[in-house]
Amino acid sequence: MSADALIAFLGQAIYAVVFVVVALRAFRYRTRPAVDTVLFFGAFSLIIVERWLAGLLRFQEPSWLTQVFTVMVLAWPYLLLRLVDDFASVPGYVMRAAEAGLAILALAAFFTPRPVPAGLLVAIVAYIAGFQMYDAVKFVQEARRTAGVTRRRMQAVAAGSLLLGLLIVLAGLQLAVPGLAPIWQVALRLTTLLSALAYFAGFAPPVWLRRAWQEPELRAFLSRAASLPRLPTTEAIVASLEQGAAASIGAPMASIGLWDEEAGAIRFKFGGDTFDVPAGRFISGRAFTLQRAVLSTHPARDDPANAGLYRRHGSVAILAAPITVGVERLGILRVSAPRAPVFADEDLVLVQLLADQAAVILESRALIDEAARVRAREEATRLKDDFLSAAAHDLKTPLTTLVAQAQLLERRARRDPTVPADAAGIERIAREAIRLRDLVMELLDASRAEQGGLVGQREQVDLVEMVREVCGQVPEGRCILEVLPPIVGEYDRARILQLITNLVENALKYSPPGAPVTVRVVERDGEAHVEVQDRGIGIPAADQPHVFDRFYRASNVDDRRFAGMGLGLHICHNIVTQHGGRIWVESEPDAGSTFHVALPLASATVPQVRREAGVTA
Amino acid sequence: MTAQESAPILVVDDDPSILATVSEILKFEGYPVATASNGAEALEQIERQPPSLVLLDMRMPVLDGWGVARRLSEQGRRLPIVVMTAAQDARRWAEEIGAAGYVAKPFDLSDLLDAIERLRTD
Repeated sequence: MSADALIAFLGQAIYAVVFVVVALRAFRYRTRPAVDTVLFFGAFSLIIVERWLAGLLRFQEPSWLTQVFTVMVLAWPYLLLRLVDDFASVPGYVMRAAEAGLAILALAAFFTPRPVPAGLLVAIVAYIAGFQMYDAVKFVQEARRTAGVTRRRMQAVAAGSLLLGLLIVLAGLQLAVPGLAPIWQVALRLTTLLSALAYFAGFAPPVWLRRAWQEPELRAFLSRAASLPRLPTTEAIVASLEQGAAASIGAPMASIGLWDEEAGAIRFKFGGDTFDVPAGRFISGRAFTLQRAVLSTHPARDDPANAGLYRRHGSVAILAAPITVGVERLGILRVSAPRAPVFADEDLVLVQLLADQAAVILESRALIDEAARVRAREEATRLKDDFLSAAAHDLKTPLTTLVAQAQLLERRARRDPTVPADAAGIERIAREAIRLRDLVMELLDASRAEQGGLVGQREQVDLVEMVREVCGQVPEGRCILEVLPPIVGEYDRARILQLITNLVENALKYSPPGAPVTVRVVERDGEAHVEVQDRGIGIPAADQPHVFDRFYRASNVDDRRFAGMGLGLHICHNIVTQHGGRIWVESEPDAGSTFHVALPLASATVPQVRREAGVTA
Repeated sequence: MTAQESAPILVVDDDPSILATVSEILKFEGYPVATASNGAEALEQIERQPPSLVLLDMRMPVLDGWGVARRLSEQGRRLPIVVMTAAQDARRWAEEIGAAGYVAKPFDLSDLLDAIERLRTD
């Protein structure tokens, strides 16, 4: 076999192989594009096989058969145009023009006596070459909207179509300039081989070629995906995966539904809406139950129960793949397209690959969440232990005096019942008992604060009067009042008293001996403001955000010099927030601190309006 | 009365109520007593009049119980110390500073007196 003959043979053989591959595939996915592809290559293969048989059996091809083949060749661009129309809109007039041209030229070719007149030949060549070109351009345009393997395949198909157009032009030239026959022959065969290779790559790419094409796309997806588990919420991860999947597949929309054990359904979120798909129902539910990727090019037909829904959403094709790690069924990746994909098998493989990646990412996210939960639990346990030992220590101090002093009184009375009562000892017992009671109350308040049940019955409370009351109980000259006329709100009287007392006592505690604190009560922007200012040790900037935390004590507090469990301000914070107010501190170390409390002023005259304003604010 | 017997027991605690109560108890039982409300004061007292034993609270401002024990060993003074603390690990802390004994707050009066008596008869 000469090189020339080998090239001719290879070209034809490849076309035949492509036909077999697309025919087998059409058998698996009976989509319209698949059927149109079979028709296109079927026309080729029929001619090739017939020519082989004719060569083998040495019979003269009857002229009617030649004419049938001519019509089939004429039909190539039209069949390809149908394929283009399957995934991209071909204007109606182009389709009509192609059909009309095909009909006229077929009739002409059939009824014109041989040899074919030059005019008709030119018309045939122009028709085929022109539409092949149009198809090629359409493929290139569509390829831009897709990505990955699909894009490469469409580009290959475009190249094949261009080469096929060129082949027809060359064949025409061969007839027009028969003198250069050997050159045309070689050019024709080479073009046949090249177009065959291009179509082969487009319609029947071998696995290694797909893998090579897939790699950059997957690599890009993976490098993006690596950082995903660190996103703040699972919703953010899902949204990012959906965008990535849509971009990789070249579909307008991809959505991820996560299996919700309680609902017994796959839960899709669209904006603020959720849509539950029970296992086994809809296309997604079927993919979930079957645990394999599912393609539906006719959702309304494949799932008649929900036909109306698919029509309303204009879903022509749906690809759904299970997101699964081992036996853990996490959810579904669902891609919907307005048109059936031209390379459905390719897209199905890609969707499954992306779903597998999504599974890995979601799983690692779940592990990160679990680790954080464990850490939080450990931290809570540690905090509780710290608190218990701090609380126990603080409770033991007054108890030590109580036990020892009481036993001393007892011993003294036993030894000599006539000795007068030890007033100082009794006073110590009383004082330490009260100290113990206050500590216990503080602990109970802290526990109640955690449950949000600190604030009870509300009543009309005049803050100015209350501040006067608190200041009246501290040593003369240590509490300076700056107050205006009464400021009345609806509060839990006992808690607000506790709040103000606590703030004033705190201010005194951290002030230099004898230094006064200033208390201000003003009405501003519909709120009551209580400010307690001291000129004490102040709070370092780093500690300021934490002073209201449970058990927190600022770093400059010598916990031997200033008793306390770090609960007072935490309780104050809870009293204020449970009243709907705010509390904050401004402070400079060694210059002093000002604690600000802003409480809503429940207006006695228009309570209704105030409540509504509170809700909409 | 020997010089040893007249040396006071030094009570060191930052809580004034505990300090007063423990002093009262010891006085009632006939011991001479000195007091200090932190580690630094305790060292001054020891300097002025060496006690027969020290009842030492551990967590105190200015200078804590560990500080006192360290300073005493630096000075080469060998004073029997009874640790008196509200912490969980009173025993461990007592061993840490090489104390002769410990009482865990809140203690029974008899436990305190037993601990002292044991050391004085040793």
